[in-house]
Amino acid sequence: MTAVRISGNLPPNIDCTKAPIAFGRRAVPKVNEELQNPELITRQRALMSLCDLVHDPEIALEAMRLGCLESLKRLLRDVDSTVRMKTTEVFYRLATHNVGRVAFLKSDVILPLSQLFDEPVDVCRKNMHMAIEMMSEFPGGAVGLVEAGLIPRLVFKLTSELEEIQELILDTLHFCLCVDASEALASEAVSVLKEKLSHRSARIRNKAARALMDLSLGVQVCNLKHTLPSVPLEGKNKLCEEEVIPILVTLLGDPSPEVAASAAGALMSATVTTPGKYAALNADALPPLLGLVRSPQTNVCLNAVKAITVLAEAPEGRKELLKHLDLLEDLRGHDSEVTRRAAETAMRVITWKP
Amino acid sequence: MTSILQPQKEATGTYTFSSRPRALQNRNKYRDPVAEQNEEQAQYGNIMYDRRVVRGNTYAQNILPISAQTDPIEIQRMQEARRRAVARKRAKEQLRPRTPEPVEGRKHIDVQTELYLEELSDRIEESDVQCQTDAFLDRPATPLFIPAKTGKDVATQILEGELFDFDIEVNPILEVLTGKTIEQALLEVMEEEELASLRAQQRAFEELRNAELVEVQRLEEQERRHREEKEHRMKQQREVLRLEKESAKKIAARAFAQHYLADLLPSVYSSLQDNGYFYDSVERDVETEFMPWLMTEVEKTLDKRVFGRTMLDMLIREVVKQRLDIFEKMEQTKHASK
Repeated sequence: MTAVRISGNLPPNIDCTKAPIAFGRRAVPKVNEELQNPELITRQRALMSLCDLVHDPEIALEAMRLGCLESLKRLLRDVDSTVRMKTTEVFYRLATHNVGRVAFLKSDVILPLSQLFDEPVDVCRKNMHMAIEMMSEFPGGAVGLVEAGLIPRLVFKLTSELEEIQELILDTLHFCLCVDASEALASEAVSVLKEKLSHRSARIRNKAARALMDLSLGVQVCNLKHTLPSVPLEGKNKLCEEEVIPILVTLLGDPSPEVAASAAGALMSATVTTPGKYAALNADALPPLLGLVRSPQTNVCLNAVKAITVLAEAPEGRKELLKHLDLLEDLRGHDSEVTRRAAETAMRVITWKP
Repeated sequence: MTSILQPQKEATGTYTFSSRPRALQNRNKYRDPVAEQNEEQAQYGNIMYDRRVVRGNTYAQNILPISAQTDPIEIQRMQEARRRAVARKRAKEQLRPRTPEPVEGRKHIDVQTELYLEELSDRIEESDVQCQTDAFLDRPATPLFIPAKTGKDVATQILEGELFDFDIEVNPILEVLTGKTIEQALLEVMEEEELASLRAQQRAFEELRNAELVEVQRLEEQERRHREEKEHRMKQQREVLRLEKESAKKIAARAFAQHYLADLLPSVYSSLQDNGYFYDSVERDVETEFMPWLMTEVEKTLDKRVFGRTMLDMLIREVVKQRLDIFEKMEQTKHASK
């Protein structure tokens, strides 16, 4: 009979799906070499270990310094779908670090990633979209995406993709549209987004309304240099033409508060032009907006007040709103400073006489 | 069959065999299942009672001809003899009285009808057995060759709890497994939380930014509208002024024209009247027709008077002339008469 002897060390964590990670400084270079190995199983195992390694930002930085991005870019075109899936996941993890995003821009990763738009395997596409969405969340990345001409393709894909991926695309579009709205307008984004406004998922409706708001605000930023935000009328006119405003007004009554906030935001930017104002007033926008003003969430409240302010420019709106001045009086004591200012502006506009 | 006899004859060298002579064994009538296994204890037969050995006189034996091939005539004769024998036999058979054929489904069998039954010991119990191979049966796989066991069998048994204690041993392994998994999960959750908090911050900023942007745009729009309105009003005002000026000019021009043309009408009337555009039709009629007629009549009358005067003048002249002539004549006559 053997004696039971338990060792003090923990048993080694041997996961046969991952390549063993070398010690210390050799870890990343070895993984990089294994990535270029012609044997499929070696590459897959190396990718799995790389995926775990890049959670750590220091290792991510080292990996990019050693040129892992080149081998990863090559692996994006690999025939095996597991390899592609893991590669896109590594890209996503790298994109969550800021150094990763900057390195992406420098080594021009966006174009090879965007070639995977038509990828048959769903997981790969989802990871790729997550990576692109991460890229778009900071201004340099958004500019890079716009310059790579991805906006029309994203808008086109919006119609035909799965729901989760649609959410990711809408997020990406939101950030890209904050940079440049004209390309999206050219590619018929308004009609596509109008369809999404009546989607059954609340999140998609929310994001679609947010994207419409960005479209109609239409700030144009070229090369990270902020130009004066003139009033870009194309977005707003497009919204009026496509008769999106009545749909937005119906969305104001949506049960989810996020959707209502985004719809109010879209309305407030679209109604700056006179035809927009009259379209909104014809669609009876004022009662739901007044209801939203009482909402506890700052977001909803603020957007609603702003929309009311814009609508109060029109004489009919002013007449109607003179009866509801007390609501805005209550808002004067709100916590958020922005809301207070907005309420004061609204009251000023309503009580203005020519 | 192994030969028990030692090859002593070969040692002398007189004979060479292609196959060694061996004693033939007597074949039993019945196959003995036991005997097959132990072939060494076979029985040897007696050559005297072996049916295969030729017996009898050797001087009148029917020996086989040397050549294997028989003469064709011989063959024919043999065949004919055979045919004749067969025919004779058949004839004989037909003459013999026979028992009738068995009915369908039955078979004739001999039965002992004597007084004392004999035990038929030479009759073997028969039973028909048939065997038929299945069509297209594959050859079954050869069974595994398991060599015969050699050596001693020894057994041992590990009772529960002797080798190791599972619960204690599995602990560290479980710790590692769950630890790594949870670590990974925690990492991912932390990352997601980090991202979520970043996004929340971003959203707050965006709200502010959007609000400000809308405010700016609204104000701009307002400004633009006001400006446009102002311009519009100014334009209107200018228009009004212009219209006023124009109307003043028009009034002045009209007054002047009126004044200028005030005289026009009477003068026109008068000139027309002067030119005879207004006339009394009777007067005109009188003038146009009556007067010329009157004038012609007057002329005629005057002509007549002139004519009359002329006639009178002529008359007077004639008279005067005649008188003158007469006077002249008188004068002449007077002269002549002096």
